[in-house]
Amino acid sequence: MAAAGPSVFLLMVNGQVESAQFPEYDDLYCKYCFVYGQDWAPTAGLEEGISQITCKSQDVRRALVWNFPIDITFKSTNPYGWPQIVLSVYGPDVFGNDVIRGYGVAHVPLSPGSTSVCENICFRHKRTIPMFVPESTSKLQKFTSWFMGRRPEYTDPKVVAQGEGREVTRVRSQGFVTLLFNVVTKDMRKLGYDTGPPDTHGILGPSPPQGLPG
Amino acid sequence: MAEVHVIGQILGATGFSESSLFCKWGIHTASVGLLLPCTFHHVLRRHLGPLLVLGPGAAWKLLSGVREGQTQVDTPQVGDMAYWSHPIDLHFATKGLQGWPRLHLQVWSQDSFGRCQLAGYGFCHVPSSPGTHQLDCPTWRPLGSWREQLARAFVGGGPQLLHGDAIYSGADRYRLHTAAGGTVHLELGLLLRHFDRYGVEC
Repeated sequence: MAAAGPSVFLLMVNGQVESAQFPEYDDLYCKYCFVYGQDWAPTAGLEEGISQITCKSQDVRRALVWNFPIDITFKSTNPYGWPQIVLSVYGPDVFGNDVIRGYGVAHVPLSPGSTSVCENICFRHKRTIPMFVPESTSKLQKFTSWFMGRRPEYTDPKVVAQGEGREVTRVRSQGFVTLLFNVVTKDMRKLGYDTGPPDTHGILGPSPPQGLPG
Repeated sequence: MAEVHVIGQILGATGFSESSLFCKWGIHTASVGLLLPCTFHHVLRRHLGPLLVLGPGAAWKLLSGVREGQTQVDTPQVGDMAYWSHPIDLHFATKGLQGWPRLHLQVWSQDSFGRCQLAGYGFCHVPSSPGTHQLDCPTWRPLGSWREQLARAFVGGGPQLLHGDAIYSGADRYRLHTAAGGTVHLELGLLLRHFDRYGVEC
């Protein structure tokens, strides 16, 4: 690498945790945190956040709107360990205890790189990410957790961003969270990375199934 | 050496008749198509440069990331898609284009007793152009004889491949009789580095 050239690139992410759809639950709040590799470091912004508690809209959408901001900048020398955002949604059960209603994970969008017009490019992504909760594996545990009102949850939500050790978990997917991202990168092209053409279709990720109430 | 980053997720699967699904995945990089005699090889290498012709399987090296894994078991409550949200993050260095990575998948279903049954095999190539790609990988499963089909319908189980390489290679496929499974959905982002330095257009 040339001594004069840059050795790090920057990734600026902003956006919002827009809304959620959980047909069975209400009064939910959302936590987010970022998980990233060893070569990555946040340079500005907040790595974690907790939203307000929201209840469902009274219209046909039945949406849980948080409109909760995300704004963070990372620097790195290597795209390996690209940041992922981990979401965990909590809500009260019938006794008023907060229980987990869903974990979800998504990669921060890979920027499409620079165009011929300017060095940096800004564009908007909308992602709908599925939310799931872990389940007990044995019938006895299932019964005791129902009886005691304590659901299984991850001690560290960051495990959902890891590929290893997932084979032992059984989950139940029961909702969706919609995220909006704006992504700007700096100096990736200078470091020799080709991130492809700008994504024009905008909406990425799975969309909620049709006929979902809410 | 040119570098390839594959960053994305195995999102989930649709179209399977079973409900609790999980997926075993792996990535395969050895070249399986072009096998040139050694002498010819050297001649070509001298003429075309190192990036075009290489010994089979020698070109790709995994620098970081895991090559295989298994997802969680999902029992969906809304809709019919099983969601895995399984992250993939791989960093390859390559000296050649032969043996471009392919992802092979095995979808299994788990019943309430924890028994697993094969639901489908499938493979897809990692896309060769940079950017974010939505991939739909169709799957298939071996049918076996009519006795085995009948047994599968009543007691479960069913035939499986002895050697997983038939999932991603076309060599021994002609002997199989298969039926369609569901579709696995993936989202893979590709970052390429220094390919233009060698004149490779992706």
